[in-house]
Amino acid sequence: MNKKWTTFSVCVLTAASVAGCGAGGTGGAKDESAAGKQVEIQFFQYKPEARGTFDELIKQFEAQNPNIKVVHNNPPDASTVLKTNVARGDVPDVIAIGGDNVYASLAQSGVFADFTGAPELANIQEAYVQMIKDVAGTDNAYAIPYAANANGVIYNKTIFKELNLSVPKTWDEFIAICQKIQAAGKLPFYFTFKDSWTTLPSFNAIAASLQEDRFFEKRKAGQTTFAAGYKEIAEKYLQLMQYGQKDLFGKGYNDGNVAFANGESAMYLQGVWAIPEIKKANPNIELGVFPLPASNDPDQNLLVSGVDLLVTMSASTKHPEEAKKFINFLIRAETSKTYIDQQKSFSAVKGVVQEDASVSDLKPVIEKGAVADFPDHYIPSSMKLDQLLQEAILKKDADGFLKKMDAEWDKAQKR
Amino acid sequence: MRSSMKTYYWMVVPAVAIFFVFHTYPVLMGIFYSFTNWNGLSPDYDFVGLRNYLNVFRDGNVLDAYGFTIKFALLTTVIVNTISLVVAMGLNARIRLKNFFRGVYFLPNVLSMLIIGFIFNYLFSNVFPDAFERMGLDSLAFNILGKENTAWIGVVIVTVWQATAFNIMLYLAGLQTIPSDLYEASSLDGAGKWREFWSITFPMIAPFFTINMVLAMKNFLMVFDQIVALTGGGPGKATMSISYLIYTDGFQGGSFAYQSANAVVYFIIIVFISVIQLKFLQRREMDLG
Repeated sequence: MNKKWTTFSVCVLTAASVAGCGAGGTGGAKDESAAGKQVEIQFFQYKPEARGTFDELIKQFEAQNPNIKVVHNNPPDASTVLKTNVARGDVPDVIAIGGDNVYASLAQSGVFADFTGAPELANIQEAYVQMIKDVAGTDNAYAIPYAANANGVIYNKTIFKELNLSVPKTWDEFIAICQKIQAAGKLPFYFTFKDSWTTLPSFNAIAASLQEDRFFEKRKAGQTTFAAGYKEIAEKYLQLMQYGQKDLFGKGYNDGNVAFANGESAMYLQGVWAIPEIKKANPNIELGVFPLPASNDPDQNLLVSGVDLLVTMSASTKHPEEAKKFINFLIRAETSKTYIDQQKSFSAVKGVVQEDASVSDLKPVIEKGAVADFPDHYIPSSMKLDQLLQEAILKKDADGFLKKMDAEWDKAQKR
Repeated sequence: MRSSMKTYYWMVVPAVAIFFVFHTYPVLMGIFYSFTNWNGLSPDYDFVGLRNYLNVFRDGNVLDAYGFTIKFALLTTVIVNTISLVVAMGLNARIRLKNFFRGVYFLPNVLSMLIIGFIFNYLFSNVFPDAFERMGLDSLAFNILGKENTAWIGVVIVTVWQATAFNIMLYLAGLQTIPSDLYEASSLDGAGKWREFWSITFPMIAPFFTINMVLAMKNFLMVFDQIVALTGGGPGKATMSISYLIYTDGFQGGSFAYQSANAVVYFIIIVFISVIQLKFLQRREMDLG
């Protein structure tokens, strides 16, 4: 009796621990027969800000399709989680991530289904489709662009009115505004470099307008270097730092959103994704966004706008029908409208327009097509651009930074 | 086979099997991948021989991370062991509220490093700078985690705060093994407190000193959570530890195979350091004994 019980309990414990480890991993793609049974599809998305929005949309979708259950997965540090899942051979059915280097490496590895020529793409703005092809360096589109963001200068309209300032069109005007704000005893920018990624938005904004055409292709071919092509960019970037607060590295992104919301600085170098967070901290703030005028030639100034969210499907999903149904639901005009209204982003779906007052300044810019993709989407993530920028700001050394960029780029290509 | 023996096998074999599957097997796979150019995602990869290993030794980022980690580990090991030995002696003496103090000093060990890290992060970025500013010490009113040459101090402070608890406990256990008649004899011979410490206390807890030094050193060489919670390796790359570099670059940077090679090198170094420490300190134990 005694012996039997020991044996039994050990077996059970062992089995339980093994099963426990396994349960976390499986994608839940169980084999249901088509006979009216409920099918479960995994939906993975990377935006913590959009969790509530997607919960709402999924509820609508499930109400219309009672035999499909969508499991919403939005873990912290989502890009890493997705990569490790993929490495394990466990790809979620429907995936929504940014059009960045994570998308690029996954698309090149053949993880995503090919949407080239698919009917779903017909209703999507061509510029964004081209953008995701460029990012991945592929001729095929392995995803459907869904929403675009914009990255410029968020400004406090009340402070601008008080100091009698208008939106600058050139770099000199921009610097003059900074000096005026400083002279009035106010802070031009609030920087949040404790979080290293917050060094990127302003860098992107400057680089997009000032870098030469097809810079990264030329860099890859060895026809140019960062030292040659990025000199002005790095210098102008560092010039902005003198208009920040005393301790640039003291605070993080969340602190910055609250500080700007409370009027501690007149401008804030962030993307439109920060607006919902700022409004959470102070619902009454009157703010606007303008493209950072990096050049003195107004025609050369571009707004950084990249694919903030794309939807795609696993190439090996067991439920392609259901996954497609969900994707088609998401790219419907009214669904897309709900999404951009809540997220303050711009829709990639044709005919869906962002009308919010806070981003209304950007509408003509986007309609004119004066937009460029995020330069850092073309820089390998192993280079850790954000940390290189932190270093450059601390050392106030543009040349050293450019030299390092070239060295790190060469190293990343060699691996 | 006697039935009791059978029970023991049932206890041991599953544990070994699980250990192999979840620990040994991944380690072997890691060594295998370090000879390839796998990026962690793509379905295919090629063998590249020792190229990854050669590149590791030429990579400035890796060497900087080794520099930071080893300096950090040495310094923190010394500080943690000094403080915890002093505190343990205090807690071993006949003081009032002894058990209460023991509980207080042990508390940090129960808390998760991540939680401690986030709390200190808040203190460093808000509470301390504001306090210094109010005291009129403007030159100190900054976030020490935000400066390249001071960020490591913040990491050391938090690590020491958390790690001391465990070492105090080990020292305390050691101190309690010393028979009290030794102290009686020494006081009859007229030995002072200082003499008593070097001639009785320290030699008697030599084995505990050894294990504390080795464990602390090994733990601090693998510093990871502290970096995640406090600095993320920044500002710049000022506090990039090796484990954190392996993790970020290997998983997020798509250099899985390359960082696997780094991990293998690192593993060998840690084993090497631990063996040297043990050899050296155990010889000392004999001399003292």
